[in-house]
Amino acid sequence: MRIKIWGARGSVPAPGPETMHYGGNTSCVEVTLSDGSTLILDAGTGIRNLGLALPRVERPIHILLTHLHLDHIQGLMFFAPLFRPESEIIVWGPASPEASLRERVGRYISAPLAPVEVRELPSHVSFKEAEPLEWDLGPARIRAQSVNHRGPTLGYRIDDGDTTLCYIPDHEPGLGAPLSQLEDDWISGFGLARGASTLIHDCQYTDAEYPNHLGWGHSPIADALEFGQRVEAEKLVLFHHDPLHSDDFLDGLCGDIHARWQELGRDPGQVELATERRELEISPQAAPVGA
Amino acid sequence: MSDQKPLELILARNLLSSISTPAFLVGQEGALLFYNEAAGALVGRRFEETGTMTAQEWTAAFGPFDDNEQPIPYDENKLTKSLREGRPAHGNFRICVAGNVHQDIAASAIPIVGPDGSSGAIVIFWPLPEDEETKAAAGVTEQSEVL
Ligand SMILES: [Zn+2]
Ligand SMILES: [Zn+2]
Repeated sequence: MRIKIWGARGSVPAPGPETMHYGGNTSCVEVTLSDGSTLILDAGTGIRNLGLALPRVERPIHILLTHLHLDHIQGLMFFAPLFRPESEIIVWGPASPEASLRERVGRYISAPLAPVEVRELPSHVSFKEAEPLEWDLGPARIRAQSVNHRGPTLGYRIDDGDTTLCYIPDHEPGLGAPLSQLEDDWISGFGLARGASTLIHDCQYTDAEYPNHLGWGHSPIADALEFGQRVEAEKLVLFHHDPLHSDDFLDGLCGDIHARWQELGRDPGQVELATERRELEISPQAAPVGA
Repeated sequence: MSDQKPLELILARNLLSSISTPAFLVGQEGALLFYNEAAGALVGRRFEETGTMTAQEWTAAFGPFDDNEQPIPYDENKLTKSLREGRPAHGNFRICVAGNVHQDIAASAIPIVGPDGSSGAIVIFWPLPEDEETKAAAGVTEQSEVL
């Protein structure tokens, strides 16, 4: 499995000279499975560039939405394959008792917010509610699970051969109680992320910023690192950067993050801040968890 | 693979741990999954001491008790019956407080229903209103009503 990050910013696009390195596009990750097929995680503004780069293939394109906050769907309407009649696009996302996934996405792709309606898109688009399903896409087993954020939100686990990618971009597992005081099975997202070869996880705030954002649905660095350590993720990619965090600011956090990951008994080379256009090969765990 | 509790139970536990009203979090089969500090102060034992308890264990220890001071089995508790039907309920009960004293108290139970169906209930305890304390003293120990 390989991944390429097309957007790592949280909340709202943050383009500009001060965010050139980590990037200003919102959440989107391209996953290339072992058979060469592609899955897309979230449709933030990063998906626009991905759509331009994707080769025209006859296979259906699967887009797995974690939730419908704008920073995770804003790019959908600018995803070039949606406007090709030969494309087949399947959008997966969280169920809600209030309305179907199609209806809820349609609130964005409709007047007055958009010049087109979902039914007017020339491609074949279908919507599937992902929870509580576990299903196969090509060689991969996909698992979706509700995680603690604001509103119905999923995390995804993708098992392909002996590699596992877990993607939880918007997540506040420590809400209400410090993670250190909770048993494993009382931590939101624990089962989903356990033993992942690579975990892409929310890290919107510094520890100093977090108290002013408690309950907003995002993690401080301390919780992102502790979550990664508790689930024994081999590699941790810190994601969903706050729009206020410039490249210089994020660079300034790196040394501390590596040192803290090492203090938790992990390899400091295996934690990084997500960077737009970064490509990563997902390697299997060196030693399987529990072995 | 070790899994996790359903998210709605995790959030319910977070809520209970943040409030000062005594409350239990009960799982599907009646296991006592968590109780907060206020409930710990009420029953005389902290959750950290007891951990998760089966329905038999916690009803034997904490009650509720019938007029003969015998524990009412979980399956015969009127709140249990309502919860199994997915309905909230409220009633007065005699429970064991501070480790050994029996005391009448009101309890409200609210089912927790997640995307996969019922996953448990929150039970919140209240002191009896003064007029009901008088009735309780007169021997009316259990009144249950479905909300
Ligand atoms: Zn987000
Ligand atoms: Zn969000």
